[in-house]
Amino acid sequence: MDNILSVLVFFPAIAGLLGFVVDKKSARAYGITVAAIEFMLSLWLWFSFDSSNAGMQFVELIPMIPDFGVSYYLGVDGISLFIIIMATLMTLIGMMSMSVTENIKNMIITLLFLEMTMVGVFVALDAIIFYLFWELSLVPMLYIIGAWGGPLRVYASIKFFLYTFMGSLIMLVGMLFVAYVYHNLTGVWSFAITDWYALVLPVNYQLWLFAAFFFGFAIKVPMFPFHTWLPYAHGQAPTIGSVILAAVLLKMGTYGFVRFSLPMFPDASVMMIVPIAAISIIMIIYTAMVAYAQKDMKQVIAYSSVSHMGIIMLGIFAMNAEGISGSVFQMLSHGIVSGALFMLVGVIYDRRHTKMMDEFGGLASVMPKYAVIFGIMLMAAVGLPLTIGFVGEFLVLLGFYQVSPILTVLAGTSIIIGAVYMLTLYKKSFFGPVTNEVNKTLKDLDAKETWSLIPLVAIVIWLGVYPKPVLEPIDNSVKAMLTFMDEKAVTLEAKNMIKVAKSTKEVK
Amino acid sequence: METLVYIALFAPFVSSMFAALFGMSPRKTFVGIVASLLLLISFAASVMLMMHIYATGTGIHVRMMDWISAGDLSIPFGFLVDQVSVTMMVVVTLVSTVVHVYSIGYMDHDKSFNRFFSYLSAFVFSMMILVMSDNFAGLFIGWEGVGVCSWLLIGFWYHKADVTREENPSISPSWAANEAFIMNRIADLGMLVGLFIVYWNVGSLQYDAVFSALPHLSGTVLNAAALALFIGAMGKSAQFPLHTWLTDAMEGPTPVSALIHAATMVTAGVFLVIRANPLFSVTPEVSYFIAALGTFVAFFAASMALVNRDLKRIIAFSTLSQLGYMFAAAGLGAYWIALFHLAAHAFFKALLFLGAGNVMHAMNDELDIFKMGGLKKTMKWTYLYMGVASLALAGIPFFAGFFSKDAIIETAYNEGTLVLWAILVVTAGMTAFYSFRQVFLTFEGDERYKAFGIHPHEMYKFVLVAMSPLGILAVIAGFGKGSFEHFVTKLLPEYHMSEHTHHIAWLLGLIVLAFAVSGIVLAYKKYAKKLVRDEKVENSFIYKLLANQYYIPKLYEEFISKPYAMISEHMWKDVDMKIVDATVDGIAKFLYKSGDGARKMQSGNLSNYLNWMAVGAVLLLVVAAFSAMLG
Repeated sequence: MDNILSVLVFFPAIAGLLGFVVDKKSARAYGITVAAIEFMLSLWLWFSFDSSNAGMQFVELIPMIPDFGVSYYLGVDGISLFIIIMATLMTLIGMMSMSVTENIKNMIITLLFLEMTMVGVFVALDAIIFYLFWELSLVPMLYIIGAWGGPLRVYASIKFFLYTFMGSLIMLVGMLFVAYVYHNLTGVWSFAITDWYALVLPVNYQLWLFAAFFFGFAIKVPMFPFHTWLPYAHGQAPTIGSVILAAVLLKMGTYGFVRFSLPMFPDASVMMIVPIAAISIIMIIYTAMVAYAQKDMKQVIAYSSVSHMGIIMLGIFAMNAEGISGSVFQMLSHGIVSGALFMLVGVIYDRRHTKMMDEFGGLASVMPKYAVIFGIMLMAAVGLPLTIGFVGEFLVLLGFYQVSPILTVLAGTSIIIGAVYMLTLYKKSFFGPVTNEVNKTLKDLDAKETWSLIPLVAIVIWLGVYPKPVLEPIDNSVKAMLTFMDEKAVTLEAKNMIKVAKSTKEVK
Repeated sequence: METLVYIALFAPFVSSMFAALFGMSPRKTFVGIVASLLLLISFAASVMLMMHIYATGTGIHVRMMDWISAGDLSIPFGFLVDQVSVTMMVVVTLVSTVVHVYSIGYMDHDKSFNRFFSYLSAFVFSMMILVMSDNFAGLFIGWEGVGVCSWLLIGFWYHKADVTREENPSISPSWAANEAFIMNRIADLGMLVGLFIVYWNVGSLQYDAVFSALPHLSGTVLNAAALALFIGAMGKSAQFPLHTWLTDAMEGPTPVSALIHAATMVTAGVFLVIRANPLFSVTPEVSYFIAALGTFVAFFAASMALVNRDLKRIIAFSTLSQLGYMFAAAGLGAYWIALFHLAAHAFFKALLFLGAGNVMHAMNDELDIFKMGGLKKTMKWTYLYMGVASLALAGIPFFAGFFSKDAIIETAYNEGTLVLWAILVVTAGMTAFYSFRQVFLTFEGDERYKAFGIHPHEMYKFVLVAMSPLGILAVIAGFGKGSFEHFVTKLLPEYHMSEHTHHIAWLLGLIVLAFAVSGIVLAYKKYAKKLVRDEKVENSFIYKLLANQYYIPKLYEEFISKPYAMISEHMWKDVDMKIVDATVDGIAKFLYKSGDGARKMQSGNLSNYLNWMAVGAVLLLVVAAFSAMLG
């Protein structure tokens, strides 16, 4: 199958369209089947992926508007491959565990469209195609929050939409400018990212463009101080919305930095290391503190997401393979773990229709299975070795240590304060005596919930013990990117800062 | 031999998984039995490995598979069984086998019996990874693994509610568990930084690569790495100022205290210093700091034990104090002596805790030694065990502690660090006093428990039998000192006393002994007949200071926990909501309002439109004029 990427992108969308004629009662089964097939396809992509090849694979290139160099251009490398698999997996698992019953058919169709846009963003190699999917992804999420959300859903969904949309517009201007510069230099128009990579831009151009792209990505990540849409979105979104939002949509931002900012503007990226690191550290420490102050379980997880995204941002700007590979791995890890945590909060919300921690206490004795799975995910979230959470966090901190030991120590406090809010949450909800009468009769996880969570537990442990199958392709692509950035960098500082692998000080 | 390595390592893992299968079902005795048998297998394998290494003199190095590889970093799952790690393996598996068997009796009536065995075996597995790993990252896996198991086990009775600090100094099991985990995490950050320093300067985390690269590294790097790693060790081994979690950890079931918070996990820090001895031997300043801190903690912890009334907390303080002794030895370069004390201490301290468990079992979980007394009538065997263990702890000839602790004190003299020596000698006297204060208050004198309607009874026979290996070792372990030295110094640096020290060794020993014996005599005089409480002493400042652990837990609460919670609250409500978010909404509102205001221009009145047009034209002219002037 040469055009597997097109199939991956459009299969869910076409299935979504067909979904309109599916009977309401079977909508759910239909959705799960489609998502399962999509997931299988993405696995198939992995198996036919050549791990030793660091470049783009399964490339499809069809010119669309040749006069302006816009083409339908798709491809994957080690960096995007696993994010795609994670996106299809989380969609499938999210659907399996979904407890929404109202307008279920609309929900399934929306999710399938959302899946198309998510996969599309990560396979697009043409800036216009990328931008299309990037913006389109807002629509289904707007609908999910606005239609199935909590009491403040309209405010939350509009805030989410307008905020991220504004950032993307600035990014679009940046994209147009890059294309313009490309045209000036080469005489032809092109929006192909791989063409743009070849562009060596003067430093002041790089800085302006870096800033333009930064707004688009930073709001999506979300970076401090652009993060306040996130707690509202999570607070109001139904469980499935939060799962997809945390697991996949936020990764678009960090992926953007890796795909665009670093290779296109290496000098600007190096100059921005300190400011970005400062923001990341604020994200890590400040939002961890805010998370600790929350009374609502879901808000704790929401703010913890911001904190963890800080780690990912830090790793991207480590400018060495350890840090960037760790970052990409951490994107997957955070996707799985925070997705699972949101699902777990959903479980208790379905039973009690509240997420306030002081309503609970002693859940471990009433719902032991639930407590065990929550505990495992919690340990993964605080980065326990042999869980998926450790690998990325460790590599990021290790990588950034080369840039700045002091900043790394500050960022490393994440392992302490992360444990503080997570363990406090666990203690408040799961330990102690069962004080609330209502909680005494709560049902433990049912089959549907258990079987949606077990695969995630398995992945958390599998990739914690043996991350190699995933880490190796990521690392190959990252190393290739760094070599390329090093060659391309204009300034000496950037050349010194960007560390091509095998750069560790040799023992004399 | 490779198979034996894997058997020793994975038998506890299998045990844990097996018990976990029954984790949510009612108590099943065979779960405990199977778990104990698997631990016994692990012990047997460790002993066979030890004999093999003793015979051949070379370690076994196996590489199981890759773990993390990224950039230039490559970390395998590799295991190294050499003189140091095999000693630890034997100690760990021996004590844990005993504790497993003991728990079958002790946890008899607990509804979470199966779950307990699952956690306990998981702990042993983590500990085995910690000691057997051939690289720093693998050590860190075990390091964090034991941390989690300790968290699970301290909080084992998670259903208990929080109470005030006055009622129970450790508030609740779940509180104590979180405290332990978080405090260890603080130290772990130091440990991680140590790993990073090592990696970026050596390019590998494998022990052999790191140690062979040491001569090429600068002094600053070495000192930084040694210090950072030691900060990690301070957490696990509960050294000041990260010590408060250890006494609070006594909230866990007593077998846990015996295994984790006395014999094995807390010695991980000492093990790290011993394992990384090539690094610490080239950083004399850091090593001296370790020795000084260890000595301080030895004294500091012993002082708090003097007045405590809680049976388990006294033993916990003594653990803290003995860890201080171990660090003193390791810091002074006597690595093998530190390891020897570590092993000997594991035996008699575990025995002491298990004895305390018997007492608790008999006293319906009462821990206040002021409410006990005269238990020797009903608990002959427990008295014997605890007496033997206390004699060993006090360093009475020819029990285990005599050989190991004396050697440490002698080392302090030999190194010329007379201040450290003097403190350690005084501490030895205090150790003897508080140990026997506790023994006498528990077993001798008037039967104060009668007033509380308690009917004590001796522990099950099989439990007492299971404790016997530890009892025997507490008595005879010291006699193995010579062969132990011969065995481990194949790997660890040898340590010899100077000619001068050697000559007056008898005198030094006598001084220590004098202190120890007078400690015991004093305890006997004060407490053996009956408990006479002295109001004046109990109300004195010093007594209160010691009884409240120098007010350090309170200090932490007032100056760290509470401000942190307060600042977090402010960060959320004032900064995040009122500044950051309000700014965003403000911008949105401004845009909305200005649009709304500008809407009024669209009045439909033509002359209004003409006016606006004129305004616009003027504005454009001004702009044009300005740009012409500037341009």
